[in-house]
Amino acid sequence: MLVSWKYKDRDTLYQSLDPRARLIFVLVLMLALMQVWDLRLILLFTAAALAQWLSSGLTFRETRTFWLIMLGFATALSLLTLLTGNGGWGTFVDTHIIWQGPWRWMTLSSERLAFAVAQFTRIVTLALFFAPIPYTIHPARYGVTFKGLGVGDKFAVATDLAFRFVPNLAHDFQTTMDAQKARGYELERAGGALKALRNLAPLLVPVTIGSILKGEDVIDAMDLRAFGTGPRTWYHRLVYRLRDYLLIGAAVVTFVLVSVLNLGLATFGDLWVPEVLVRLAS
Amino acid sequence: MATQTGQSASGTGNKWIKPLIPLAIIVVVSVVLLYVGGLINVMTSGEGSAALPLSSWLFSIVAGAVVIYGLYVGFADRPIWQVGTREVVYMAIGAALYGVLSWLTNFIQLPSISLVSLRPAAVIPVFFGIAFGPVVGFFSGFVGNVLGDALTGWGVYPLWDVGNGLMGMVPGLMLGFRNRERALNTLTYVVAGVAGLAAVLMLLNWNYTVSDFAGNEFAVGPLVWIPILAGVLVVGARYLFAKNIDTAAAVVWGALGVIVGMGFAAFGGIIQNGTSPGAAFFGEFVPAAGSNLLAVAILLPILLSAWTSAQARSGR
Repeated sequence: MLVSWKYKDRDTLYQSLDPRARLIFVLVLMLALMQVWDLRLILLFTAAALAQWLSSGLTFRETRTFWLIMLGFATALSLLTLLTGNGGWGTFVDTHIIWQGPWRWMTLSSERLAFAVAQFTRIVTLALFFAPIPYTIHPARYGVTFKGLGVGDKFAVATDLAFRFVPNLAHDFQTTMDAQKARGYELERAGGALKALRNLAPLLVPVTIGSILKGEDVIDAMDLRAFGTGPRTWYHRLVYRLRDYLLIGAAVVTFVLVSVLNLGLATFGDLWVPEVLVRLAS
Repeated sequence: MATQTGQSASGTGNKWIKPLIPLAIIVVVSVVLLYVGGLINVMTSGEGSAALPLSSWLFSIVAGAVVIYGLYVGFADRPIWQVGTREVVYMAIGAALYGVLSWLTNFIQLPSISLVSLRPAAVIPVFFGIAFGPVVGFFSGFVGNVLGDALTGWGVYPLWDVGNGLMGMVPGLMLGFRNRERALNTLTYVVAGVAGLAAVLMLLNWNYTVSDFAGNEFAVGPLVWIPILAGVLVVGARYLFAKNIDTAAAVVWGALGVIVGMGFAAFGGIIQNGTSPGAAFFGEFVPAAGSNLLAVAILLPILLSAWTSAQARSGR
């Protein structure tokens, strides 16, 4: 069983940016985006997310799974919210009723339709902001990236180790499955969900317990090298450049601007209902 | 061992000062944003005072900061939160295992509206939390979910990453009790007490109405069956597994972890994605928590039993 990370080295502007700057950028913009339901404002964030995506050099072919899953998720979430009630913490009240079903919750209004479109766009935008991360950060750089973001040495090392353990554990899993199959084990044995779960025990238990016991060697090796007694140095060094500061600055300014306007103006960021939808109700 | 002792001593010395700087930054930024927002409000509406929105929020901000500071100071140096070499390695193993096993089972999709899959691997962060503590449990769930989604090519979903982390952290809190029976009894009494109190309050205020997100009002009385059912289920589970207290404690705390973690991720979507409570509950929480609860109930006792035997054999 081969584990392949989605990361590829690309000579793109996006990948030339410091991974810390990219993470701060998307996290801060996420906090800003979460404050608005106005589709016109959300589309500005969508444009930024698309610009980020295009600058990352990712192709549809290599990200097909992400698009399929994400669009399916956003569509289903918006549709179910449209059908089951008002979303968005009292963002709107059904004022312009287009259709009323036999039950009170079965209401189709201009506001609900506008909210569904805004919600769909916001979910897609949020997912789009985070999507390039696994494709553009080298698996061996996560530890030093988190360390650079202020996470303690121990957690940064644990992150690094986790990425390194993945191929080994996938290999152990394959070896265990082969050994169990040689003893007559069938993963796909017929049965309900409960039986299917129980069937996994002969695979799950040896791999888990075996990896914990093997971890003792790693613990001993680290202890012998005095792990945790002082600050660590890292093989890779991350250095912020002007473009990284600009990226972080743009995100922070956007967040402050959106937050201040949201607090100061009574209707800023509220749901926008286009006139064409209001006319549908009349 | 010497390493861990030295670190915990230095960590204890800093616990009063360490949280002050981030908390002060959060309070100052919040106050500045509120003040500037208030000024804009005055300039655009021409009425009221800039101090009004600030003063109404200031108490909440300071009170929140004081509560967080108190929790940190009170619990930071408890043994269950300490991280040594052993915990670092188990965090990495737990995360890698959860990532690989999730990746293998992400293909089995359950009918739901979110990225919820039949994930037997959900037992991994719960097991690591119970065996090695809440920090290891949280890390295994959080980073493991990131790894699993990255391997599958699904992207990054912070809300679900934190939810999976909580799923591992909450069961680990039982290590804070003197023994597993005490952990089980405490949880049973707390749930039964809260459920009983809620039921009594609802019965006494049968016609009291509350508003849902759509502004519709409904009476709380007819919903009294919810806390009663929850209380009966928890107390029933406690006595159903009375013969094996260790397993019962692990399964009940594991179930609590699944409910808290998946509840956080599903209902957090109401704020982040604007989902309706119905969509969050039926579309996300029920499928995610349901399948994970099954995995915990069936696989956790088997894993714990194997781990106990392995510990006895290895002498660790």
